[in-house]
Amino acid sequence: MSTHNAIWKKTFFQVGNALRAMLRQSRLKQGFILLFIVIFEAFLLFLFRDGFRFLSAFGGAGVIITGRIFALFFLGLAWMLLLSSLVSSYATFFGSPEIPFLLVRPFSMQQIVLYSFIKATTLSSWAFFFIVLPFVGAYAWHQALHPLFILWTFLFSIPFLFLCSSLGALFVLMMVRWLPKPGKVRIFIMGSLVLGALFFLTMRSSPNDIDEMQFNLATIIPGMRLAVHPLSPGYWMSEGIMTLTRGHMQRGLLYLALLSASAATASIMVEQIGGKIFYAAWQRVRAAGPTRRKPIMFPKLLHIRKLLPADMAAIMAKDIRIFFRDPAQWTQALIFFGLLGLYFSNLRVFHYDQLPEQWRSAMTFLNVFAVSAVLSSLGARFIYPQLSYEGHSFWMLGLSPTSMPRIVAAKFLLAVITTSLVSLSLIFMATRMLDLETQIQQAALALIAAVCLAVCGLSTGLGAIFVNLDEHNPAAIVSSFGGTLNIVLCLCFMLAAILPFGTIFHIQQISLTTNPGIMRFLPLAYLWLILITLLATIPPLWLGYRSLMKRDF
Amino acid sequence: MIDISSLTKSYSGFRALDALTLHIPDGQLFCFLGPNGAGKTTTIKILTGLVHPDAGTAAIQGMDVQNNATEVKKIIGYIPDTPFLYERLTTSEFFLFYGELYDLPSQQIITERNRLFGIFGLDSHRNALVRNLSHGLRQRLIYATTFLHNPPVLLIDEPFVGLDPYTIKLIKSMLQEHTRKGGTILLTTHILAIAEDIADRIGIIHEGQMVADGTLATLQADHQGANLEDIFLQLTHAGKRENAHVNA
Repeated sequence: MSTHNAIWKKTFFQVGNALRAMLRQSRLKQGFILLFIVIFEAFLLFLFRDGFRFLSAFGGAGVIITGRIFALFFLGLAWMLLLSSLVSSYATFFGSPEIPFLLVRPFSMQQIVLYSFIKATTLSSWAFFFIVLPFVGAYAWHQALHPLFILWTFLFSIPFLFLCSSLGALFVLMMVRWLPKPGKVRIFIMGSLVLGALFFLTMRSSPNDIDEMQFNLATIIPGMRLAVHPLSPGYWMSEGIMTLTRGHMQRGLLYLALLSASAATASIMVEQIGGKIFYAAWQRVRAAGPTRRKPIMFPKLLHIRKLLPADMAAIMAKDIRIFFRDPAQWTQALIFFGLLGLYFSNLRVFHYDQLPEQWRSAMTFLNVFAVSAVLSSLGARFIYPQLSYEGHSFWMLGLSPTSMPRIVAAKFLLAVITTSLVSLSLIFMATRMLDLETQIQQAALALIAAVCLAVCGLSTGLGAIFVNLDEHNPAAIVSSFGGTLNIVLCLCFMLAAILPFGTIFHIQQISLTTNPGIMRFLPLAYLWLILITLLATIPPLWLGYRSLMKRDF
Repeated sequence: MIDISSLTKSYSGFRALDALTLHIPDGQLFCFLGPNGAGKTTTIKILTGLVHPDAGTAAIQGMDVQNNATEVKKIIGYIPDTPFLYERLTTSEFFLFYGELYDLPSQQIITERNRLFGIFGLDSHRNALVRNLSHGLRQRLIYATTFLHNPPVLLIDEPFVGLDPYTIKLIKSMLQEHTRKGGTILLTTHILAIAEDIADRIGIIHEGQMVADGTLATLQADHQGANLEDIFLQLTHAGKRENAHVNA
């Protein structure tokens, strides 16, 4: 058997063992995860279906939008896949401990690159199917499409996935290989790329040469013009699926061939170009030895010692430094919050501030929901495993002249300060952009502050209860029972906190003339918010502290 | 046979290897000694192709490691100080995978698995996931797999970390057997007693340069019969630091 087949056989064994390990876990945990997946998918399915029904209620315009929204959806997915591919490609090509193992075995560089590329594509694609399934299902349900529609969608998804992923992989490989190392030149190049992209997007959104209907659609739905551009892979996908579903085989298969050929070309480019440049790129990143880059010392962090006891300040300063020295951590936070920031800062570009009051109010609570969802996922990814990250060096904290409550408090405090700074700023910007009345602004800010406290309290507390000092893999810590419970509780808190406020303001705005008394419930909603925030913050921290005290280290 | 000629490597201004030249013939176990950061691991990494040299050449069995990378990799066995293993494979699956990587016939892989698992005490762990193995068992597994394709050249970085005395003795005898059959071994260690015990030849590297090279007997003869520890400390200037510490 060739060496090439060996690695795929190995992967098959790995997947089999992972599945067996999953099946050996408790029935309760399996059932819980399965139930959560089903509820999540069903929720999205009904949400998308209601969305399509809502659009249909607009008559002609709704029909046009519904037709175009399929292409827009795949454009959005293409961007998501591209971003995801950038992260997973870098991690797979340059961060994986498997690569040095493969480099000293009898593989060609092309084989290593191809294997890593497929691995990165798989890693970046699982969320794709989680979102595609309910959307496509809802679309087929609403349009009463032939069941073959699902098959065509699956058939188109594979080349679409590889096309987007290969663009991300090529970009990463070439940037790592050729991007100049000196800081100023790198910043100049990256800055130029960002400015170029912004300029391009601004030009695209300019409504100069389009008719009135297109203008309206383009202003309501950002990216619409790009989504239906004949050279957009998202358009090939949506148009191909739709034409095949309508029975126009020749035209549909032409789009499938176009997408497949493009994906194959891009994948071959990854294999061939990557095979030639990967070794040199890897040498730059992994074999370059210690860099002379100035370490992030944050001398001003010493000032926090004036505000806090020395032990807590030391723990917080250490955690901040580690966070900024680990690109995997700060880049994820930057991408999530950066995308939200980009969206919020463009709310007026899309004229959302001119929408009726009830729409802006609904958007505000959806924005709060989006920021809260990001907070929950970042809480699960970074705050929950904080104590487990201490690993075998936890004895150092344990033996130092500090106490367990202060260790837990330091972790909690740092998490609250950092997350609330970012999320309060984002929500403040979003509410200002939408030009909302003060009452809604205050509610949105109070909600996001409460979500910060609750997410940090739950994540720190549960992280202490389910601390695992033997596990070095962050993904394994996050996907453990405690990690899963943490994210589920955070999501439940979000719903419990946001829904009452959203409902009160929505009812107030749609029934001003008949039911103005609904605002009497607002103080009750605030009281409810305070109560559940305290419940989600203090008991988990207390239980976490108690659990740590009982442990042997 | 390993041939290294004027090998130079710098990391951001720090010279890890400074025109290092070394020839290790077939059938020799060469033990590389040196303080931390002296250039031992960099030498091994260049020989495996993990690190590209700035200057100089390195060849194994007459083949340049940079120009004939794939061919060289077929004839070397590399054991790093902290080896990577696939956590979600069982020991048997990992062994099978390793054999297939080197294109060995299935029957040979199975025969060798039975033999080597027996030697390294892995029989009762055949179906255990690698992630559930202790450090010592992991080390035994990597040794068993490395011997599978019977590579003529072995490159071993800190070979005895975390192993029990039985396994250390076993590996020492296997390495000596390997050289008796004509194999070449380049081994780095900080345990001087190991070098005294099994090395055919010892090299001491300091700041990227070879400062001593010879058999134990010739090194002692060159240093007025001093033991290896004193020779090492004297050549690497660590003795000065030690004395300064004691005086302080």
